[in-house]
Amino acid sequence: MQIHRTGKHIMGGTLGIIVDISLNSLVLSGVFLIVAIGLNIIYGLSRIMNMGHGALYAVGAYTGYTLVATGLNYFAALIIAPIVVGAVGLLIERTIIAPMRKRSMVYTLILTYGLMFFLDGMIKYVWGNKPCFIDLPAFLKGTIPILGTQYPIFRLATLFFIAAIMGGLMLFLNKTKVGIILRASSTIPEMVSCLGINMNYVHMGAFVLGCIMAGVAGIIAGPLTTIDPLMGGEMLISSFVVIVIGGLGSLRGAVIAAILIGFVQTLAEFFITDLAMVIVYILMAVILAFMPRGLLGEGKFE
Amino acid sequence: MKRFITISLSLMIAVLLFAPQQVFAEKPVKIGVLVPLTGIVAQGGLEMKYGIEMAAEEKGTVLGRPIELVVEDTQIKAPVAVTKAEKLVYKDDCKALIGVFSSGVGLAIAKNIDKLNVPFLTTHVMTTALYGLHPLVFRSGQLANDQTAVGNINGILARPDLKDKTYYVIVHDYAWGHDGGKRFIDLAKANGIKIFNEDYDKAPTSTKDWSSYISKIKASGADGVYIVFITNVIPTFAKQMSDFGLQGKIKIISAAAPGPLELEAGGEACYGIFGASDWSWDVNTPVSDAWELRFWNKFKTIPSDAAVHSYVGAMNLFNAIEKAGNTDAKAIADALRGISYDGPYGNVRISAKDNCMRNDAVLTETMAAPENPFGAKVYMKVLKTFTAAELGPAE
Repeated sequence: MQIHRTGKHIMGGTLGIIVDISLNSLVLSGVFLIVAIGLNIIYGLSRIMNMGHGALYAVGAYTGYTLVATGLNYFAALIIAPIVVGAVGLLIERTIIAPMRKRSMVYTLILTYGLMFFLDGMIKYVWGNKPCFIDLPAFLKGTIPILGTQYPIFRLATLFFIAAIMGGLMLFLNKTKVGIILRASSTIPEMVSCLGINMNYVHMGAFVLGCIMAGVAGIIAGPLTTIDPLMGGEMLISSFVVIVIGGLGSLRGAVIAAILIGFVQTLAEFFITDLAMVIVYILMAVILAFMPRGLLGEGKFE
Repeated sequence: MKRFITISLSLMIAVLLFAPQQVFAEKPVKIGVLVPLTGIVAQGGLEMKYGIEMAAEEKGTVLGRPIELVVEDTQIKAPVAVTKAEKLVYKDDCKALIGVFSSGVGLAIAKNIDKLNVPFLTTHVMTTALYGLHPLVFRSGQLANDQTAVGNINGILARPDLKDKTYYVIVHDYAWGHDGGKRFIDLAKANGIKIFNEDYDKAPTSTKDWSSYISKIKASGADGVYIVFITNVIPTFAKQMSDFGLQGKIKIISAAAPGPLELEAGGEACYGIFGASDWSWDVNTPVSDAWELRFWNKFKTIPSDAAVHSYVGAMNLFNAIEKAGNTDAKAIADALRGISYDGPYGNVRISAKDNCMRNDAVLTETMAAPENPFGAKVYMKVLKTFTAAELGPAE
């Protein structure tokens, strides 16, 4: 591929391209990570495979869009939208998931699959089919020069948001009593129950936490691309690829897998455009062929 | 008792004598409408439906019978569309099919038209494969890919700021995208316009994050980009180009007209998109202005080119049925060849040579809208009008 024509631009041009690809990969990885982490939290702690997770991600994005459109500051919407999605998640958990928890996983799989269609339908009914764009604060618009390229400020900010969220999540899970209980519940639920902790509240908390993560991902990803009724289904597929490759229930696995998928997809789109998604799925097939439980195995919620 | 029987028998005879005539007089002419109401182009499909509904309402009747539209959602999937078409013809007894957004779907229906045996008039399919494809397959709607390419190339050549640019070509990865990309590149090369990637990039229709493609465009050094994207994706791409600071630096030329509601959502980031189209609400003729107001009053949504060319296509179909004098498929098809309708974008005539329309079109560029009855903030300003002869293809 011809890059730049004059010698004096070659270094800046090539370096700029490398920076572009790297940052694009990290942003894509970050969005996959936040959504997949939420899905993994729910599966790792409750053994519920939430097929409605993508729709909740879309609800987060649309809620954020609506809040900003009504005049609220983007950062306030960044806090409120996930809380709204968490509330929706609480309602879902209490009415649909909790009654089915003791049954086979297939029941909750089918129920959440139906939930996905319900939420998608509600989104179209409330917001219609046209794409929506979240209006960002002025200081987050525009680009900034980095090592030979001009890169959007909001995309860089996204990386900081995601890092902060992941850091906060790790602190919560490792350093708080609630977080420790959640982690213990994934490996030794009987012992946690014997200690007098109500497992219903644990499962409820895990589900709500997973939904909050979906909501956060939605409002962060919304300004990056576009908000439309199809965004949930597409992200669900990507997040499943991440958690399957990383290992069902493994948070560390999700981190590694999200970075891997983000880089592979971005590089494939850059160099072999026609076959980008094919390459991602071939990667998944190869990994699973040699490591059927994913990169870090199944069920290790750490 | 005798009186009761006499009255009952009289009533029965009256019903038998009069009811069948009444039924035949009011039995509607059913037209099957195939549009995508779900999926990525749901908004465009809805606008097409609006245009056809408006035409049916204004036409009122054909052959003295009311027009009944039977609408089915193609979901922009070929197998679904073919199944729905079969249902419309075999179960609903539709005498013609109209609509269809996607070239892939349109070609799938055309492949089955012998079995369906009704005229099929598409109002949005742009592939050049439709020219003379089948005696029962017609186009009266969106410009075909070759006509769009001619319009865009002529527009580029007429602009000193555009004709010396190097263009990067990206298309949506399906039939229409490939056809549109190839048409533009072939014509560009023939006219001395520089193309960076003659094997053009093909992006999945599900692409939301265009950052990788934008990085490629930046890396190429191209200063123009020719996109063959589904209408509602165009503003998304334009917005992300703007996010990367490229608005105004890399000119976007589009093979398809962006949807008006999507332009509104994209706002200022969507200024500067250049391209040929059948029509824009900036076309200031009495017929167009009146149509726009009627459409706005009825549907309370900004008039779009998807709606207007579906309206015109539907009028051509209804008038052809009138001309045929009956609902026989071959008679309607014969009547469609050469028929024309004078509407918002002038005379639209279906060529007897290849069953596809010839009409004037416009070259537009998106910018801030002047005061208008629709509250639109972004619009496609008309820069130039092309005649049907200019756009071709020659007959």
